Amino acid sequence: MSNDALVNEDNLARARDLQACIKADDEKGTKEIIDDLTDIRENALYQEVGKLTRELHDAISAFGMDDRITDMTHHDIPDARQRLNFVITKTADAADRTLTAVEESIPICENMEQQAVSILESWRQFTQREMDAEGFRKLSKEIDGFLLTQSEGFSTLKGHLNDVLMAQDFQDLTGQIITRVINLVAEVEGNLVSLIKVAGLAEHHEQPQEKSRQELEGPAVPGVDSGDTVSGQDEVDDLLSSLGF
Amino acid sequence: MDKNIKILIVDDFSTMRRIIKNLLRDLGFTNTEEADDGTTALPMLQTGKFELLVTDWNMPGMQGIDLLRHVRADENIASMPVLMVTAEQKKEQIVEAAQAGVNGYIVKPFTAQTLKEKLEKIFERLNA
Repeated sequence: MSNDALVNEDNLARARDLQACIKADDEKGTKEIIDDLTDIRENALYQEVGKLTRELHDAISAFGMDDRITDMTHHDIPDARQRLNFVITKTADAADRTLTAVEESIPICENMEQQAVSILESWRQFTQREMDAEGFRKLSKEIDGFLLTQSEGFSTLKGHLNDVLMAQDFQDLTGQIITRVINLVAEVEGNLVSLIKVAGLAEHHEQPQEKSRQELEGPAVPGVDSGDTVSGQDEVDDLLSSLGF
Repeated sequence: MDKNIKILIVDDFSTMRRIIKNLLRDLGFTNTEEADDGTTALPMLQTGKFELLVTDWNMPGMQGIDLLRHVRADENIASMPVLMVTAEQKKEQIVEAAQAGVNGYIVKPFTAQTLKEKLEKIFERLNA
């Protein structure tokens, strides 16, 4: 007979005693032996749970990620959030500066265009000798004014183009920040996978729940599969015309 | 095409509103106003002074699709043409917008030419 937690001489003796008590119609004796057996069973269970708990704790400690995970939750992730907010601010600022420069440039262009069209018309009259002296005096005054506005206009335009140029400086900074956040996400992912392995849940892959209809997909990203999507305006138009639009 | 019509531009990002506003101005539509989501847009539309709605889909508060449904459900403004300009590219959503009664659907990023074509198409159909 083996000396396992339950299969042993002591329990065999208890079994014989229990049989004897039941045959002798000894209610009290039977109850005592059954209580003894229950205690033995429960002790074995507690020992097993204790052992498992210790093993899990050891595994997590040995895994050495306690500190790193704490560090990530307390520092890296809030930090990443702040960095991403900075990306939003930086890109919004760049877009604003660019738009302002463009909005201020357009009227200058429109003004120069109008003046050029008007001068061109008078100039044609002049080259076709359809202009009198008075008309010519008017034209040369117009050309004079035009050249002046041009030089001023071009210098302002150059300033605006420089603003547009400088507004692109966000790309360098946001690129670096996003790279760091990507690295952090990769690390978190690695740790989560390891944690799942430690917890022995690797085989229990539950199907992710289907996204709620309210949740919108957002912009399509090349290389990221977001289901049944169109790739551009032409496909939208095709889809709509197939619906009778 | 009447270039003096009053147009409401609805998008939660001010840069996108500015881009659309500038593109519309370039096409000759200078009479525009802006709102940052459906909740602010709907009362503006209900005043009855707008003749075209250009709206994003994904916005906090009331989304573009719900704004469209509210417009179609309000008999005073139900016939207003609605152009959706959105980053949502799922076929399911395009179909949903079509069923809700959208008059045009533009996916971001888009070009000035696309905006022009869709507007022309909308007005062509209105006048037909």
